[in-house]
Amino acid sequence: MLVAPNINSVLNMKKILFLVLLSALFSCQNDDSEDYIDVESNELLELNIPSNFPELAQDISKNLPTEKGFELGKKLFYDGRLSRDGTISCAFCHEQSSAFTHHGHDFSHGIDNLAGIRNAPAIQNMAFQKEYFYDGASNSIEMLSINPIHNPVEMDENMANIIAKLKQDPAYVKLFKQAFENGEITTGNTLKALAQFMTMMVSSNSKYDKYVRNEAGGSMNSQELQGLAVFQNKCSACHEGDLFTNSSFRNNGLPPNPNLNDLGREVVTGFETDRYKFKVPSLRNVALTAPYMHDGRFGSLNSVLNFYSNGVQHSATLDPLLNQNGTLGIQLSQEEKEAIIAFLKTLTDEEYIKNPLFYFQT
Amino acid sequence: MKFQLKNTIAILAFASIFASCSSDDDSSQNLVGNGEMELYFDNSINGDDLILGVSSHTNSNGETLKINKFNYIVSNFVLIDENGAEVAYPKESSYFVINEETKQTTIHLENIPSGNYKKIKFGLGVDSQRYLQGETAQQSFWDEAAANDLTWTWSTGYRFIVFEGSFTAPTLTGEKTFQVHQGSNTATDNYREFTVDFPNTARVRQTESPSVHFIVDANKILDGNAKVKLSEAMNPAGTSAAIMGGTKLISIADNTTSMFTVDHVHAGGAEH
Repeated sequence: MLVAPNINSVLNMKKILFLVLLSALFSCQNDDSEDYIDVESNELLELNIPSNFPELAQDISKNLPTEKGFELGKKLFYDGRLSRDGTISCAFCHEQSSAFTHHGHDFSHGIDNLAGIRNAPAIQNMAFQKEYFYDGASNSIEMLSINPIHNPVEMDENMANIIAKLKQDPAYVKLFKQAFENGEITTGNTLKALAQFMTMMVSSNSKYDKYVRNEAGGSMNSQELQGLAVFQNKCSACHEGDLFTNSSFRNNGLPPNPNLNDLGREVVTGFETDRYKFKVPSLRNVALTAPYMHDGRFGSLNSVLNFYSNGVQHSATLDPLLNQNGTLGIQLSQEEKEAIIAFLKTLTDEEYIKNPLFYFQT
Repeated sequence: MKFQLKNTIAILAFASIFASCSSDDDSSQNLVGNGEMELYFDNSINGDDLILGVSSHTNSNGETLKINKFNYIVSNFVLIDENGAEVAYPKESSYFVINEETKQTTIHLENIPSGNYKKIKFGLGVDSQRYLQGETAQQSFWDEAAANDLTWTWSTGYRFIVFEGSFTAPTLTGEKTFQVHQGSNTATDNYREFTVDFPNTARVRQTESPSVHFIVDANKILDGNAKVKLSEAMNPAGTSAAIMGGTKLISIADNTTSMFTVDHVHAGGAEH
C-alpha cells in the first residue's frame, strides 16, 4: 500500500509534508492502478429467498454473490467480447424487457446471423433450478455459461480467448481485483461472476406472488382466480409449485419438426427413453416470453392451450399424464382457456423486468 | 537445595535416556514429519506398450484398435497405511490430468504424513459433489482439463477419459475412426472410485519419497467385465463410432474400476 506507517521521529515536519504530497500525487496518478483498490468495500449481497419459494437448488456457498462480483457478472453479461467477433453478448438473446428471452424470435440468431434450433429460455430464479437448458445439458449455475459461449451458432468463442481479451481492459483488471480474493482474470472467476449475477436474478413479485403472500397489490379478479383453480387442477402436475416447474423432462406430444429432428433430453443422456423430452419451463413472466415451446413454434398462449387440448401427438415417450385412457392432451373449454391465460398474466413481474440492478448502464 | 537440584538433574537425565531407548525400539515413534509420493501412470494395452498411432491391438470383441489419444482425469487420492488408517489428500488439490501424448504421466503428492502405506484409493474423473461446488472447489481445474481436451462444451462437465483412434471390426468394411468420451451427465453419474493394493510397502518419510508404478490398461475400457463394441456405436453415415452417452458410459464406468493396478513401488528416491 501507499502510506508508510513507521515514519520515525528523525523526520522533521518538512519531510512529512513532502511525503504526504508525494503520496497524494502518486495516488492521483494511480487511480486505476492495480495497487490502489479498496478491497474492503466488496460486501456480500443479501439474497432473500421469497417466502413462497423452495430452497435453493444450487450450492452457492463457495461463490456467494458480492457487490463487486455481481457488478462484474453484469458487465460480462452485457459484453459482446464473450463472443468470437465481439458482436453477441449474453444479453443479445436474453433481453430484460422480455424476462431475459429473445422476444419475437423462435430461434435466436447468434454469431454471423446463424440460427440455433431452440428458443432462448428465460433467465430468472436460476439458483432455484437444478438443471439448465431444454435438454438439461448443465446442472451447475457456474458452468452453464460454457454452453452458449462455445456453441458455434451462438457465441463461438472459448474461455482462453475471452480471458486474453478481458486482460487488455483496465476496467476488468480493476473489477476482477475487487471482486475476487486472488484478484485474477481467470476462467473460474469469469464463470463465477456470471453465476453471481444470475444468482441474484430473482423474479418473485408478480401479482400472483403478492396474492399468495397476502401482500398489497395482490388482489386477483374472479376470472384470474378461476384460471388459478383450473391451472392447479390441470397443469400443475408439471408446472408445479411457485416456481411453476418441477424441473422434470417430458415429452408433451409436440409433433417433432422433421427439419430439426431435435431429440431433446436424449442428446444429453444417450437414452432412447428420453427421446423428444424437454425440460418443463417455469411459467413466470410467461406473458412476456413469446414465442413458446423449445422450438418457439407457437406465437401466443392461446395457440399453446389449443395445442394441449387438440394437438398432442402420440409417440413412444409421450408423457402418461397427457394420455388418459387413449384420450390425448388436456381437456379444456374455451372459458377455461381464457381463464388460464388471465391467470398466467398475473405471473408477470414488472419489478423484475424494470429492475435497474439487472440493466447495464454505461 | 543444591542437592535437590542435582537429584532432579540426575533423574531427568535418566528419564531421558530411558525415553530415548524405548523410542528407538518403537518404529511408530519415528513417523514424524511429512514426505512425498510419486505416482507414475504407465499407459499400456493388455500387457503391451501403448504407442499412440502405431501399435494396434485386437480385443476379445474381435475389434482391432489403433489408439491416437488417451487422456484421463484421476482424483481424490486416499492413502491407506498398514493399520488401515486413511490419509486423504486435500480434496481441492486432488484433481490431475494424465495425457499420454504429452507424456504428462506423473503426479507428485506432497506433504504426505510419514507412514507405511499399503493401498491407495482414488477415482477416475470428477465426482459430482465437487463438480457442483463449482470452480472455487475445483481450483479452476477447468482450464487445465480444457487444454487436454477433457471438457465438454455442448453440455457442461468434464470428460473423464478421452480415448480415440481407428479400428476395424469383422462386421465392418475398412478402417473406421472411433471416439470414446467417458464422463458424467446430468442423468448418470459415471464417476467411480476404487482401491488398489501395493505389492510392497510404500515407505514415506521426510527423507524417503517412494514412487508408485501403476500399469494402466486401456484395453479394459471396452473389454473389461462388460464388453462394449465400437461397431455397435456407428454414426448414421457408418464412418465413425462415437460413444459419448447412454448405457455404454455406465458399462465403461464399471470397467474402469479394474483399469489400474500397481506393478511395484520403488523405495524413496529411486527412478521408476
